[in-house]
Amino acid sequence: MDIINKLLFVLLGLFIILNFGLFMGVSMRKIVARVARRNGVPFYQPWLDLIKLYGTRDQISHGIMFYLGPVFRLSGGVGIFLFMPLIFGSQYFNNFSFAGDLVLILYFQFFGMLGMALGAGEGGHPYSAIGISRGLSQFTTIEVPMTLAVISLGIQYNTLSISEIVAAQQGGFQNWTVFTNPFATAAAMLSLLGAFGHSPFNLVKAPNEIPIGPPTEYHSTFLGVLQTNAAILHVIEAVLFMNLFFGGAVNWFELMLKSFLIYFWSVFVGVVFPRYRIEQSVQWFLKVPLLLGVIAIIIYM
Amino acid sequence: MSYFSLEYIAMITGFLLIVLGIWAILTYKNLLKIVIGFSLFDTGINIIIVSIAYVKNSTAPIIDSAVSLKDAVNKIADPVPQALVLTSIVIGLGVTALMLAYVLKLYQDKKTLDIESFTDLKW
Amino acid sequence: MISPIHIISISLGVAFAIGFLGKNSNKLSAVIMLLTIGILTFISAQWAQAFYFGNQETVQIFTAGYKPPFSINLQIGVSESIIILLINSIGLLGGIYLFDTLVKTGKNAVVVYLIFIMSLNQVVLTQDIFNLFVFLEIQSIATAGLIVLERNRNSISSGFKYMIATGIISSLLLIGIVFGYYFTGSLNIADFIQANMMLSKGGAVALFLILASLLLELKPFPANGWALDVYESIKPGTSAMLSAASASAVLFALYKVLPAGNPQTFEIVLGFGLITFVGSNLLGIKQTNPQRLLGYSSVGQIGLIVAILGMKPFLGEKFTFIAIAIFISHFLAKAGLFWLSGIIKADNIRDWANLRKKPFLLVLFGTFVFTLIGFPPFPSFFGKWELIMQLSQSGYWYLVGVILLGSFFEGIYLFKWLGYAIKLDNVNLPEFNINWKKIIPVAIVGVLTYLAGYYSSFFTTGTEHFEKFFVPLFFIAILYFLDFLPNFVKNIIAIAGMSYYGYILLPGLYETDLLRFIFGAIFIVGGVLTLIAGFTYKGQRKGFHPAALMMFAGLGGIIQASNMIEFFFSWEMMTLGSYILIIRGKKSMPHGLSYMLFSLAGAYLILAAFGFTFSQNGISLEALKGLAFAPNLIYGLLAVGFMTKTASLGLHIWLPGAHAEAESDVSPMVSAILLKAGVFGLIILFLSMGAEAAGQNSILYLLGWLGAITALVGNTAASFQEDAKKLLAYSSIGQLGYILFAFSIMTHLGWLAGFTYSINHFLFKAVLFLAIGAVVLRLKTHNMYEMGGLIKRMPFAFIAVLIGIITLSGVPPLSGFAGKWLFYNAVIEKGWYFQGTIVFFAGTIAFLYSFRLIHSIFLGQLKDNHRTVKDISIWFIIPIYTLIIGIMIFSARPDLILKPIGNFLMPYFPTDALSWTDTMAKTRLGYWDGTWVMIIIGIMFSLIFAWLFILSRKATKVEQFNIAYSGERPERPETTHMAHNIYAGFNKAVGFIVTPNISKFWASASENLDGAAGYFRRIYNGNGQTYALHIIIYTLAMYLMIF
Repeated sequence: MDIINKLLFVLLGLFIILNFGLFMGVSMRKIVARVARRNGVPFYQPWLDLIKLYGTRDQISHGIMFYLGPVFRLSGGVGIFLFMPLIFGSQYFNNFSFAGDLVLILYFQFFGMLGMALGAGEGGHPYSAIGISRGLSQFTTIEVPMTLAVISLGIQYNTLSISEIVAAQQGGFQNWTVFTNPFATAAAMLSLLGAFGHSPFNLVKAPNEIPIGPPTEYHSTFLGVLQTNAAILHVIEAVLFMNLFFGGAVNWFELMLKSFLIYFWSVFVGVVFPRYRIEQSVQWFLKVPLLLGVIAIIIYM
Repeated sequence: MSYFSLEYIAMITGFLLIVLGIWAILTYKNLLKIVIGFSLFDTGINIIIVSIAYVKNSTAPIIDSAVSLKDAVNKIADPVPQALVLTSIVIGLGVTALMLAYVLKLYQDKKTLDIESFTDLKW
Repeated sequence: MISPIHIISISLGVAFAIGFLGKNSNKLSAVIMLLTIGILTFISAQWAQAFYFGNQETVQIFTAGYKPPFSINLQIGVSESIIILLINSIGLLGGIYLFDTLVKTGKNAVVVYLIFIMSLNQVVLTQDIFNLFVFLEIQSIATAGLIVLERNRNSISSGFKYMIATGIISSLLLIGIVFGYYFTGSLNIADFIQANMMLSKGGAVALFLILASLLLELKPFPANGWALDVYESIKPGTSAMLSAASASAVLFALYKVLPAGNPQTFEIVLGFGLITFVGSNLLGIKQTNPQRLLGYSSVGQIGLIVAILGMKPFLGEKFTFIAIAIFISHFLAKAGLFWLSGIIKADNIRDWANLRKKPFLLVLFGTFVFTLIGFPPFPSFFGKWELIMQLSQSGYWYLVGVILLGSFFEGIYLFKWLGYAIKLDNVNLPEFNINWKKIIPVAIVGVLTYLAGYYSSFFTTGTEHFEKFFVPLFFIAILYFLDFLPNFVKNIIAIAGMSYYGYILLPGLYETDLLRFIFGAIFIVGGVLTLIAGFTYKGQRKGFHPAALMMFAGLGGIIQASNMIEFFFSWEMMTLGSYILIIRGKKSMPHGLSYMLFSLAGAYLILAAFGFTFSQNGISLEALKGLAFAPNLIYGLLAVGFMTKTASLGLHIWLPGAHAEAESDVSPMVSAILLKAGVFGLIILFLSMGAEAAGQNSILYLLGWLGAITALVGNTAASFQEDAKKLLAYSSIGQLGYILFAFSIMTHLGWLAGFTYSINHFLFKAVLFLAIGAVVLRLKTHNMYEMGGLIKRMPFAFIAVLIGIITLSGVPPLSGFAGKWLFYNAVIEKGWYFQGTIVFFAGTIAFLYSFRLIHSIFLGQLKDNHRTVKDISIWFIIPIYTLIIGIMIFSARPDLILKPIGNFLMPYFPTDALSWTDTMAKTRLGYWDGTWVMIIIGIMFSLIFAWLFILSRKATKVEQFNIAYSGERPERPETTHMAHNIYAGFNKAVGFIVTPNISKFWASASENLDGAAGYFRRIYNGNGQTYALHIIIYTLAMYLMIF
């Protein structure tokens, strides 16, 4: 397959993921609204938002890093997408996953976060720094159970290649990691709660109960880029968990269903539990999730 | 060597003097008494040296008409310790003199002869 | 040749003649006295030359026309000639030094001084035991006379104590001699030795008394309070003579008589010598008076030499060299130090900061301190080395431990003192006069230490190829003499020298030994780059270049070393240079000290391990392989020794302060480059342990855990720092933890990861420390919360730090990710899951401090006083961006570097764990293509950037405070810059990890040591009677132990 074809399929995949991401985002907002006995936004709201944001003419910039922040952020999201095999067995939708394995994706997540943090930092708003410092703090311990789970998978499947992990789970749901390695899955799914940043782990995004900081400082096109990224990233992270723990997907429908449910898991927890303080959430990940991760390793030792 | 021979008594005396001297050095607080202790110590040693040289019924180690060169070995006392004791006495004198000079200086400084008052330097 | 008997006759004659001079001829008599000692020196030099260069046989000189035992005979052989040459030359120098004092006191003092020197000569030369006693007495009386050159209450009372003590000692000696005569019928020492006195109880007691009193003359701990008081209170010129000249004579007397004993006698002398060495040095820790401290040190050193005399039976043919090398170090250094204290005239070692007003005096001081401790290139280094080797060879491993412990105690107070002199404030201290009569002797002994050191190297095992280690030192010496030149010129010379060194060293290594090539490149290329930054400094920058080059020469040396002494020599050179570099920082005094003490302790552990290795396998570095006996002990010692340099947890407390307070271009040298020396050492160690066997080794398992926990603690602590350079310093601790962990894995992948981390850490830490250092130079503060918003003023610095932290945190596409990827593979393959998880946890914590570093300094709000600050100096930008090019190349083509390393590792770790297809790396578990990742991310980033740029190219630039702030305009940047304590929540959650228990542990250890020293030194209560009692008890105790 020549490179042009490859690129076209990559773009197609990106388009699907983006739109599905916007849809998934708005569905969750609806669900949360219903739980709170509100009506919520209409289903087409995200698309309208995006059009509006990209169309805004009134724009300000705090400097070059401020400008680059969203670029980093979106590159981070798209990059993970690029390195992620989407549909098992499809030669069209495995993107550039030949360039690196699971470890690459785990570490490339930081690319966007770091750039975003720096961009927001140049904005000069103190709440940006507060939010970022909380986000980074929380992220450190989210990674601990996740790392244990990944290592457990590495031992279990004897590979760190996502395609091979998916391949190993084919042939019926009983082969999915969630059944063959429930402890690793549990640890990872708990750390996923933190990664998605819904309640109880959403203090990061709410530094003062007022929507201030990055979302305010970043506006118009910048915010458009950020929202585009959010849509892509949410799906693709769910796809990562799908690939690792839930047997991957052999077609687009399976991908959408599974990633929707995975994402729904964090929203579901979010509407049930109240928010943690940052030191509480940092410690939380070092308790039950860590224990589950340790067990996941011990059973393979 | 019988227990009451001269050299034996001398040696015992010498040792007694040494012990006495050390006792004085270690217990008396008065500087002058300490110096005297040293003199006792020295004297004790000197007596011991002489007692070692003593050979019963022998004569002074001078070769003259009384002692011929041939039987000198049997007839004279050992000359070496006698030479030693002379040197030792001289040195003892020098040391004592120097000590007394020090004592004088110390006394002029603090108007006391108590050794415990000269402990400004320590640790 | 002039018979040595004339040493006595000339001296006596002159001494009497001076008596006939008129009343106002003090000066004339002093000149005559100096001339006389000059003649004595000439005589002894003539003999020494005849012995050394000619084939002169040992000569006996008979007096009074009879042969012994009927007369006194003198003997002059090679040892005697050397010792009297030393005594007479130091006497001459000391006479010059004391010239003014002697003239002022009068010609009687001149005579006393002459007699003092003469008596020492005779003590050395005589072969008659009673004659020895007589001249020892003359020496004592002369000393008592010299003591009152300084006339005050303290000197006089100490003189009296001296008389009491020596009075008792000489009486004991006399009793011993008399009974010795009684039992052997002779006063000749040779007959004593022949007679085998130990066979009869009486003879044994007599010999015991002789030896004990000679030992007591050497002021053994703890029966030496009288001597300490004397050292403290008298003229330093006199103390110098006591410590150097008298001690040499009495030591030699002991050496002469000692063979009369049996092996057990030697052991006892050895034991008491060592007790003195350790005890006296321990008590020295608490001293603050320079002369008293030198007294303690003097006593300790002499104790060591006594112990060496006692070791004669098992030091073999190296005995003479060891004894002389250590003795001459003490001899020169102690004389020099006492003389210096006479020049500086301070009652407290803190006031030695005054010395700095005359920098060459400070250099001399440093020379003497390093000589005493046994640093290269001084004779004591070679002596101590050979001592440890021979002791180990003979199986006395515990003695090695005792000696090194004592040396370490000595290091504590000497380096504290040196630190005071280098760093404490000296503004309010009084000026002191420079009198050439006092300077010249010090300068001469200073130069002699270097010559003696150079000369000593010829006698040491394994120094056949030492010229390549000395050549850089000569270069450094020349550079030191050019120190008056401006910094710019010296920097060019230094860089040229380093570059040439690299040019001749590195290309050859690439072919033969890739491991050494990599570290050599880090050391030398890194050195050149960091030196470039030095162009920023104006003026002369005194002392910087010799120190820096010494460190780099040491680093280059450990690369080149093929045997253990070459390695250790270079290791110590590196320590010495880096110590001086580190302590140059403004507030570096305590950090310099703790760096030095940890390095010293580490070096001693390495030395001990080398000794134990030497005793089994010889001196080559290869000898570390396949140790038959106690391999784990040796490897453990080496590991701990090297880890003092890599600052692993527990041994890390010196690092943050040392790196943070160092100068801006020194921090990268000591952080990015110097720490790798420890890594190199560990690699050598691990390679020696043997790959296959070591895989199961419990030491490595422990080291793995230690590395992981070090990484965690180091990184966590780094996140909580407010000081930018401290943050980087703690980060180094963490990074070195990774490296330790990676190498401990001992697999192909682990080592690849270790190398990747080492190279990366060199690159990014140099970039970061240079950039931050340059910023600090501009802003004059280390505190990050006082900075902020500097991206607008310092874009070059910002980009550098950005690249640096991306590499540090391992985010793709930069080369840091290579390390992380290899890590995952290595950890899973090895099965070190939990340690690995801790390491990865530490890795995420690295984001915290990375963000803090870049945000608090460059982002957020610009401070008012920084609005006009300029970007960092071009001299920093050049090396920084050169290094960044390195990072970029490594990131884009990791295969270029990792492939050769993989090939290099094949002989050691033959598993083909990592294979390459073009730029794609593949392991059993996963794959990664650095080049493709770089391309993909680059293109994508450019596309998105272009897209955003098209959409929002017209964005308005706004002012600093134009932010949504509840409708207010925050006009003070300080209140709006969120930087201080920004990880408060994280601290609350996991801050317990970094409670400074280890610092507390070391602090309490040093307090306890201090307390012990303070407690035990109370035995010296200042009362002459107590001192007399000590002597009696000491003798009795010895007696009881022997019989």
